Amino acid sequence: MAATEPVITLKNFFERAREGALTAVRCGKCSALAIPPKEFCESCHQRAWEPVALSGQGTIASYTIIRVAPARHAAEAPYAVAVVQLKEGVSLLGRIVDLPLDKLQVGLPVKFRPLVVNSQTALGFGPA
Amino acid sequence: MRRVAVIGVGVTKFGKHDRTSAELFAEAARDALADAELPPSAVQALYYGNVVGGETEKQLHTGPQAASVLGIPTVPTTRFETACASSHAAFRHAVMELAAGVSEVVLVGGAERVLNVPTAEATEYFAYASDAVWEQPVGLTFPGVFALIARAHMAKHGTTEEQMAHVAVKNHRHGALNPKAQFQKEITLEQVLRSAYVADPLKLYDCCPFTDGGAAVVLASEEIARQRRRGIWVLGSAAASDSMLMHDKRDLARVPATERAAAAAYRQAGLGPEDVDVVELHDCFTIAEIVATEGLGLFEPGTGGLAAEKGWTSLGGKIPVNTSGGLKAKGHPIGATGAAQIVEVVTQLRGEAGPRQVEGARIGLTHTLGGNTATVLVSLFGRD
Repeated sequence: MAATEPVITLKNFFERAREGALTAVRCGKCSALAIPPKEFCESCHQRAWEPVALSGQGTIASYTIIRVAPARHAAEAPYAVAVVQLKEGVSLLGRIVDLPLDKLQVGLPVKFRPLVVNSQTALGFGPA
Repeated sequence: MRRVAVIGVGVTKFGKHDRTSAELFAEAARDALADAELPPSAVQALYYGNVVGGETEKQLHTGPQAASVLGIPTVPTTRFETACASSHAAFRHAVMELAAGVSEVVLVGGAERVLNVPTAEATEYFAYASDAVWEQPVGLTFPGVFALIARAHMAKHGTTEEQMAHVAVKNHRHGALNPKAQFQKEITLEQVLRSAYVADPLKLYDCCPFTDGGAAVVLASEEIARQRRRGIWVLGSAAASDSMLMHDKRDLARVPATERAAAAAYRQAGLGPEDVDVVELHDCFTIAEIVATEGLGLFEPGTGGLAAEKGWTSLGGKIPVNTSGGLKAKGHPIGATGAAQIVEVVTQLRGEAGPRQVEGARIGLTHTLGGNTATVLVSLFGRD
């Protein structure tokens, strides 16, 4: 692979996410796992990435229920947003779907599902 | 490196204004120059903070615009944008220009105008400081960012909504003593706890308001400062950054950039947290104050909530925090905030803070945070 060619672009990541697959990159030098896009490994500053499929399974590390939303999301409020720690160790931020807002708690198991609205893909997490 | 001092300060009333951000800055700068006993012609550079001017005022190139309205159009001017920490970043770079001997007098400041647009629109513009691909489409807001931090801090340390409410009550009590504050009225713990959720667990009274306002400080070389009686020395000024994305942060209950910027500023000044007499820190949300008091080393990690509950950060407490009322009560015109915090600490160190004066304050600290905790500036100040 040419040195100027990224392993996973943002576009790649979200095209795959739209199909239900989450992709991380693992450093071939120090084994650190990261969410793309990244040129250099944050830990060892090498550039030796390999794509790794993520299971999409994790637990809520923190969450909030947004009640005052930005203009473009105002019609959707209230909605929950969470940082989910995936079982592989990396985390992703996503919208919580198909879970009652009053049942949310830190540590709750959840599973990835793509959210496609107006052809834009965002990350969602629903019941495990 | 040469020593640098603050020799003049100015700040507008914070709240709603029907003037542009450039006009608001010009008012603050006029007052800062008068305070420094210098004419506008003495200014050799302007370092300026402004964040959402492109959105709320449809205005870019706000630095030269502000300089033009002030009446110093030919002075070299640069606008800084590090989200809510913009004018503190501007300040640090101005200090370096003076310390390097490039200039003798530099003006620093910032201004913001946001109350001319509806709340949902302002909320969206502020969210532009979150990631446009990963975070904005999910609907993350700034209260949401700090709610994620709050929930993590509660889960890790047992911090409570009531402890967070104590921060709001204390800062409103301080703000009631500041004639420039947006809110000059005291509130009760009940009022905070009964207010509506904005982003659980943060409620309306856990959040700072949207604010219009401007602030300015005049910085000078030691030689010029020595010719005046009220110069306050810049003892250290440091910046630190951290991962932009919430999903890349290892521990949501901490702000590592605060810890790194504080360590660097203390090292420059040869001081530690125990030496500080008065602090203005970034309380955009009540949890932000709790986490900042820990990150600055004022209290042990996990005990910031207890410190708020016990009144240790109140005027008359162990270490008074946000005597101005903080962002919570004084208001948060984002581009002006870093400079406005410096105005308060300088006023305290001069002994000119009136009813909110910290008796005998000799060393002051300012802390400003930008965006998803990705930028932090910490500066230390001292009097002779």
